Amino acid sequence: MAGPYLSESARAASAAESRFRITRPIAPARDARIIALDDRAAAVVRRVADRTWARAGFYLAGDGDRVAPRTLDGAPVALADLLTGTDVVVVVATDDTGRNAAAAVGAGCGERAVMTAGVVLGDGFAADDAVAALRPHARVLLLSADEGDLVDLLTALRV
Amino acid sequence: MLRQDINELLTQTGPGTPMGELFRQYWIPALLAEELPENDSPPVRVKLLSERLVAFRDSEGRYGLIDEFCAHRGASLWFGRNEEAGLRCPYHGWKYDHTGQCIEVPSEADNSSFCENVKLTSYPLVKVGDLLWTHMGDPAKRPGLPEYEFLHVPPEQTYTSKRWQQSNWLQAFEGGIDSSHVTFLHSGGLKSDPLFKGAKGNEYNMKDTKPFFEVADTEGGLFVGARRNAEPGTYYWRITPWVMPAFTMVPPRGDHPMHGHFWVPIDDHNCWTYSFDYHPVRSLTEQERQAMIDGHGVHSKNIPGTYRPMANMDNDYLIDREAQKRGETYSGVAGIAMQDASLQESMGPIVDRTKERLVPADSGIIKARQKLYKSAVALRDKGQTPPGVDPEHHRVRSAAVVLPAAESFLDSCRDAVKVVPGAPQASV
Repeated sequence: MAGPYLSESARAASAAESRFRITRPIAPARDARIIALDDRAAAVVRRVADRTWARAGFYLAGDGDRVAPRTLDGAPVALADLLTGTDVVVVVATDDTGRNAAAAVGAGCGERAVMTAGVVLGDGFAADDAVAALRPHARVLLLSADEGDLVDLLTALRV
Repeated sequence: MLRQDINELLTQTGPGTPMGELFRQYWIPALLAEELPENDSPPVRVKLLSERLVAFRDSEGRYGLIDEFCAHRGASLWFGRNEEAGLRCPYHGWKYDHTGQCIEVPSEADNSSFCENVKLTSYPLVKVGDLLWTHMGDPAKRPGLPEYEFLHVPPEQTYTSKRWQQSNWLQAFEGGIDSSHVTFLHSGGLKSDPLFKGAKGNEYNMKDTKPFFEVADTEGGLFVGARRNAEPGTYYWRITPWVMPAFTMVPPRGDHPMHGHFWVPIDDHNCWTYSFDYHPVRSLTEQERQAMIDGHGVHSKNIPGTYRPMANMDNDYLIDREAQKRGETYSGVAGIAMQDASLQESMGPIVDRTKERLVPADSGIIKARQKLYKSAVALRDKGQTPPGVDPEHHRVRSAAVVLPAAESFLDSCRDAVKVVPGAPQASV
């Protein structure tokens, strides 16, 4: 033990003591669903989906105003099924065309107590309606010009 | 979580490191003006960004910030005699002016030009507000002086303190944009601290312990909006601005003064926390100023003659478990500043961010790290000027407002988060 230290706190906060923090593999914390709300968001989500993720499913919310969830391959999925078993949903929007889907996903997450986060790419104003639809449900809204935010968010959450 | 290489990049600020170079693009606080109170006052040791320096105010009132060590034999100029427009090493009498230029070497011949070739590293030291600021980067890229509002209101409207924090700057800074801890760690202070208590907003804070967050990019950094339920159909928003690299403001409470922080790396294991309070439209009352001096609000009670808090890691932060049981403090540590510092220091000098388990509510921190990382890399690889260098970016305020549920804080608070000299803060 290096020292001398004047208190337990001083010793415990030292760099020497940091070496004794328990190290063991951390399992992915989340079983995530990432849902694109509009066409440009879909392109972003497809790029992000190409990366390696531990427990993440990537989806498209629908066509324009129509809420019709499907996989990136185009296979239809019921919204209820999509939200079953997940503990975090990240929706991605770039404009207002996904406002209905935003509301539907947000409400679905609310009913199931699923943590909801929204990443709104662009200047924010183009997606005002989508943001407004998400606001009551999304615990976090990230308004950003940088699509890297989605990657960083998922990485930080250990998805 | 954060990759180890990124954690190292963000936390290492010495010369030649990407983050160190980033910090060297900005004017940063070097010390409080009160530390050099008069001409020829004693020199002060200053360690910044892992460089050891000494600050002094010469006989003509000029501030100098120069290499701490004499060019001759390496003795510390903290022992120097500050007299007759220069700092003289007491070992062999070598004397330096405020620019670090050697102006006298007594052992040389009277007309010798030897000392003309001896110059210590030096940085500018400029008083703006109650602080002395320095710029440690390329003089050719020196930006305009800081324009943060707390520096430019009349002296009777502002107060700044500082304290030594025994942790890396990043974990201290991250507390400044982490709005969700307030309801827990600082809950005692919302009820009793003379600089916080009594505001209507405190009730919203305490009633709704699960805030929603909106994080928005700005030219200079970020706005982090924390939203809580207020009256039916309305939300209480607390809006925290961050200006790169290390300036944050706490959303205000009622008519209390506004406050915030600037975190400055001393080295990779220590930082200075500069904490300020100011009111945009009125003088601080005697009671308010005394409360700040006594360590209330965001300030700390320091050991007299030092900037080390009285409650520190060497005395277990004077933790009082009985006060905790009585509900006076949430963690047992008294004071907002030391409540934060005790936990941030407990993480170790540089927390291992590869082991974190972040949640979406940490999005402000996630985004800030990304912005710092990208800016440091863009500076290193492309020479790109980072956000927050332009003094225009400094003209931001925090705000605390109640808005109709459908309104965006960004749209509705566009004016509230801008500095308008003479206009009151937006506060509930």
